[in-house]
Amino acid sequence: MAPPFAAAAAAAAVASSSSYALFSASADRPLLRHQMPPSSISVRPRRRTTAASAAAESTGRALLEARDLFACVKESGEEILTGLNLTIREGEVHALMGPNGSGKSTLMKVLAGHPEYEVTAGTVIFKGENLIDMEPEERSLAGIFMSFQAPVEIPGVNNYDFLLMALNARREKKGLPALGPLQIFPIVEEKVRALDMNADILNRAVNEGFSGGERKRNEILQLSVLGADLALLDEIDSGLDVDAIEDVAKVVNGMLAPHNSVMMITHYQRLLDLIKPSYVHIMEKGKIVKTGDRSLAYYVDESGYKDIATV
Amino acid sequence: MSSPSLCAATCSTSLRLPPPILRFRRPGALASVPAARSAPAVSDDLVLRIAEQLEDSVAASSPLLDPLRSASALSLLSTRWPTRRSNEAFRFTDISYLRSLPISLPSQAPALAAPSSPYPSYIHFSDGVLTSTSGVHVSALADLPPGPARDRAAAVLAASAEFADKDLFYDFNAIGAKDVAVVHVPEGVSMADDPVHIMFSYSGNGDGSMVMSNPRVLVLAEKGAEVAIVEEHFEVGQEDGGCYWANPVMEIILEEDAKVVHSYVQRQSFEAAHTKWTVIQQSKSSKYEFVEVSIGARLNRHNLHIQQLGPETDTQLSAFHFLSQDKQIHDLHSKLILDHPRGLSNQLHKCIASSTGNAIFDGNIKVNRYAQQTDAGQETRCLLLSPKALINVKPNLQIIADDVKCTHGAAISGEHDPNALYFFQARGIDVKTAADALNFAFGAHVINKIPFKPIEKNALAQFKELLASSRQE
Ligand SMILES: Nc1ncnc2c1ncn2[C@@H]1O[C@H](COP(=O)(O)OP(=O)(O)OP(=O)(O)O)[C@@H](O)[C@H]1O
Ligand SMILES: [Mg+2]
Repeated sequence: MAPPFAAAAAAAAVASSSSYALFSASADRPLLRHQMPPSSISVRPRRRTTAASAAAESTGRALLEARDLFACVKESGEEILTGLNLTIREGEVHALMGPNGSGKSTLMKVLAGHPEYEVTAGTVIFKGENLIDMEPEERSLAGIFMSFQAPVEIPGVNNYDFLLMALNARREKKGLPALGPLQIFPIVEEKVRALDMNADILNRAVNEGFSGGERKRNEILQLSVLGADLALLDEIDSGLDVDAIEDVAKVVNGMLAPHNSVMMITHYQRLLDLIKPSYVHIMEKGKIVKTGDRSLAYYVDESGYKDIATV
Repeated sequence: MSSPSLCAATCSTSLRLPPPILRFRRPGALASVPAARSAPAVSDDLVLRIAEQLEDSVAASSPLLDPLRSASALSLLSTRWPTRRSNEAFRFTDISYLRSLPISLPSQAPALAAPSSPYPSYIHFSDGVLTSTSGVHVSALADLPPGPARDRAAAVLAASAEFADKDLFYDFNAIGAKDVAVVHVPEGVSMADDPVHIMFSYSGNGDGSMVMSNPRVLVLAEKGAEVAIVEEHFEVGQEDGGCYWANPVMEIILEEDAKVVHSYVQRQSFEAAHTKWTVIQQSKSSKYEFVEVSIGARLNRHNLHIQQLGPETDTQLSAFHFLSQDKQIHDLHSKLILDHPRGLSNQLHKCIASSTGNAIFDGNIKVNRYAQQTDAGQETRCLLLSPKALINVKPNLQIIADDVKCTHGAAISGEHDPNALYFFQARGIDVKTAADALNFAFGAHVINKIPFKPIEKNALAQFKELLASSRQE
């Protein structure tokens, strides 16, 4: 078993928070921001193509493929996903939009194996394997990371210890020896800084008493410490102030590489300006009814979702 | 009552007691004990046998203990061994383990040196025998020079003879205690930074008998004094767990504005029994903070008794019990009596029961007529890790005053919040590891309240180890 809750971890985090303050003199952070205006936040050139041409040139290997996916709420049997199709290739950024209650969060949770839902029909292949047969933790270890729209509080479990446990679960899977609390400190510290988070947050219980924005940033902290081949980001922009959205976008963009992909749910343009999607999907009543490029998002911004399927 | 120095302090009490000290004789020999037998007492062979054994062993004890000893000797003559059927206080608690083995008493001269303490002030009991004390305000009762401190201690001990809510374990301790460790913090003195570390080490004697010990501690915090005490009961020596019966009593007197921070860790062997009284008296504006962590012993019965003597007291109680062993029994019986206005109290009881363990909590809070504007909270939360584990909880707030704020909550669950478990899984952590982390967090929540790092760390480490081993089964 992983030895995650060493009291030393807490001690390390305490000790660190003071040293943290030493080299995070607030003077150097704004400077960083000036060097990198929002418009150039993307760290690598992104394809700007129409959906049609994107489909034509889709040479990347399929990372995730969902076919005719049906899923319901386990307890009530209420059907939420109603024949959904989706392909995400390596290196792509997808945006998922759609009216409230259309099933966007449900789709992500189903992909991440949330126990509240049951897949009743269809297939999901992730990296060539049947995703639906995998336990939630296996999906995570296989490279899927979902940031929760509403992350839960875990009283009594130290945030830093939690990161250590999660990191060591990944190392164990790779056959690497577990790391001690002090060894991961430099990694975590750097990410905390990149997200402009208060290091004190490491020494508190996971999400307990965190503000809405702190919770969201904490999700992205986990993403950046753990890494992911496919990041499913559920409304990471809601509840974040403007500066925080930029920090988060910077971190997400920084993680993008030719082999990993992002799907993000958002209701707003701003995030799409910062993390530029190659595809925009519109979801309605449990399926994707339209796919296009960023111009689709502009259309939604202007005209809403009415009749969008026929545009 | 031969000690002249006792007189001033205790004569009002001692006059009511029957001198000389009773001698126990089992039925048959009872006719030769005429003292105090005016009412037909219901005697009990086992109780008398233990009492007799204890009395024989403490011939040379401090005379300052005489009033207490006499009163308890008298009560024992008419006390029956409690059973679940006959005694409400033991309704859920099976104490038959105590009579499963012959009882022996510790040898006079314990060979072991005092375990090392991280703190300069300490008290060490070896198998119940007070072997060493260190620190300015710490002493054995027998070593206290004549003077106000000694008089005060004697008076308190004599008054303890009148303790109305006692049971036979309290009485056994009273007649079995050879000496009393006294922590006396004079008026206005603050010694809260470093605790007085009270170490109770036990080893048993490995001959198939149960070594019974009756250590006793008195803590006296005078007006405005502040003191922290750490009380630890632990095993030394025996590899596979010594067999012994620890029957300690801890009495704490808080005078006006005094503050006592009390941490109590019971990590005895799983062959041992632990029957304990903690008796607190709180005067006006005093503050008592208590953290209990009980993870050891086959049978653990803790009676925590707090009496409010004046208004505006503050009482903070937290306890965590972990039952990791087959047939392990842990019982916390607490009683908080509020008789004065504007008291503040909070009680948190938590327990985890695995295997075939049985946890019992009876938490009584009495808010009496004059305890107006009391703010009393009580919460109990239990986690059952095995279908064969059993928990009996009886939190009860008795409120007679009408202008009070009382809150209470009780929760027993067999599993963790599925959303919390899933959160771990979503980050690649399997359910078992996640459940472990949540179990650990559940107990650590209380253990973390121990204000002294080495003690807290040690308790956490032991809890973690037990958690891991109980999971493997
Ligand atoms: N566990 C559940 N139990 C009952 N109903 C559920 C459950 N999960 C989802 N639903 C229902 O399924 C529908 C889709 O919910 P979902 O959270 O996926 O919507 P969404 O597209 O993410 O909406 P929003 O934009 O408001 O976040 C809603 O009607 C919701 O009430
Ligand atoms: Mg949603």
